Amino acid sequence: MLEVKNLHSFYGDAHVLHGTTLHVKPGEVVALLGRNGMGKTTLIRSIMRLAQPQVKTGSLLWKGEELLGLSPHEVAKRRIALVPQGRRLFPSLSVTEHLTMLKAASVKEGWTVDRVFEMFPRLAERRSHRGNQLSGGERQMLAVGRALMIDPELVLMDEPSEGLAPVMVQHLETIIANLGKTGLGILLVEQNLYSALAVADRLYVLETGKVVHEVSAAEVRNDQSPLMRFLGVH
Amino acid sequence: MSGLNLIQILNGLTFAALLFIVASGFTLIFGLLRIVNLAHGALYLFGGYIAYSVTGMTGNFALGVLSSMLCVALMGVVLDLGLLRFVRGFELRQVLLTLGVAFVLNDLALVIWGGDTFSMPVPEMLRGAVRVGGGFYPKYRLFVLVLGLVVFLALWLLLNRTRLGALIRAGVDDAEMVEAMGINIRRVFLATFMLGASLAGLGGAVGGAFLTLYPTADAEILVFSLAVVIIGGRGSLVGAAVGALLVGLLNSIGQVMFPELAYFVIFGPMAAILAFRPLGLFGRAA
Repeated sequence: MLEVKNLHSFYGDAHVLHGTTLHVKPGEVVALLGRNGMGKTTLIRSIMRLAQPQVKTGSLLWKGEELLGLSPHEVAKRRIALVPQGRRLFPSLSVTEHLTMLKAASVKEGWTVDRVFEMFPRLAERRSHRGNQLSGGERQMLAVGRALMIDPELVLMDEPSEGLAPVMVQHLETIIANLGKTGLGILLVEQNLYSALAVADRLYVLETGKVVHEVSAAEVRNDQSPLMRFLGVH
Repeated sequence: MSGLNLIQILNGLTFAALLFIVASGFTLIFGLLRIVNLAHGALYLFGGYIAYSVTGMTGNFALGVLSSMLCVALMGVVLDLGLLRFVRGFELRQVLLTLGVAFVLNDLALVIWGGDTFSMPVPEMLRGAVRVGGGFYPKYRLFVLVLGLVVFLALWLLLNRTRLGALIRAGVDDAEMVEAMGINIRRVFLATFMLGASLAGLGGAVGGAFLTLYPTADAEILVFSLAVVIIGGRGSLVGAAVGALLVGLLNSIGQVMFPELAYFVIFGPMAAILAFRPLGLFGRAA
């Protein structure tokens, strides 16, 4: 469904992605592992077509259509949603407004405010709070809920477990796994190997802007050692 | 408090209402598009002249005001789509560009309307004075005060009770994220630019009746608007209202009590506020 081919991305003169190639099939949960500074966020931003980084060569095929040359809102219109690093909620908007800014509350198709609140009852309790008045876990729930409101077929999640308490991380893993089961494709950037293994069907290891290892979760369950070697864990 | 009385305070409040109308447009554009639109004063002046001409021709005050808002909103579209798009993301170039546009518009106004001072004709029902306290006060200035309140209320409802308002507020917080949610932020920007410009036009039209219209009026209103927005904080509607009240009242108090320090009375406190709250009273870091 999503095919990233030989992508080269730059921040100014800094060459960050050196020919990254990977793919995500429909309904597949794919984890992207790698240490800090290896280009994981750069890849997510490249796919979303955000202003930085600049993609100089390569291709980003979504259902056969080239995404390069589109603006971020056009990418989102093709049902690719972003749960960005650091959540990036809107401090001036209430929880409900985060969800209704895209769709009127009266729309009953696809993801609705009620469905998001059903999935995250905590958010329903906090519906009139503003984005910056929530706890870390609630913020992440809202960031996920907001992304779902575009009725995505693929969600790009950039380190959703970052900075969360262990119990919250588990809750999030359940949510991601359940979303994956509904047929939603997820490309998950994750530093925590065990979180990634808990939800992913397939894993990639990114190193200095290149995929150096690809493995299915089933294979990792049989033998962890090759993956560990690529992650620099011995 | 020698010389300070109810009339002076009303003068301050009505001036504040006008300042709010103009500065609210300025702060909307500044907050969302991150553009310090130095042509805002010129749009104000143009709006005033257009309202003056249309009202003169038709004898209809409301028509004059509306045509001013419409024309200036269209000038905003031309400015945004025709010029500012080429310097997107370069803040200094944007500011210099709008400064250049301000000069060009000012000269253009001089060519079209000449250097005389005009006063926007006021409709019959707003002429004369009403009894306030122990004295009389011009009806028209009270009308401006009410209009300022109406504009505040309308903008507040737009920003806080509509989807466009939510998008504008979200855009002030994080425009890139709004874009990543499938919203064409350019359209929100353009709508905001038109709205902000039309408020400058409205200000010029109603302000033209009591501040009069003359070739340097644009620079004066611009300096006051800048002070209002800097005090209130970028992009904040409530900030613009509080800033306008502060500047309006300080201005009339200053003129009465310390006429030789009139400007210092406004810009002294502004500097003091900035020293302690660099983002203004209601400003937030980007």
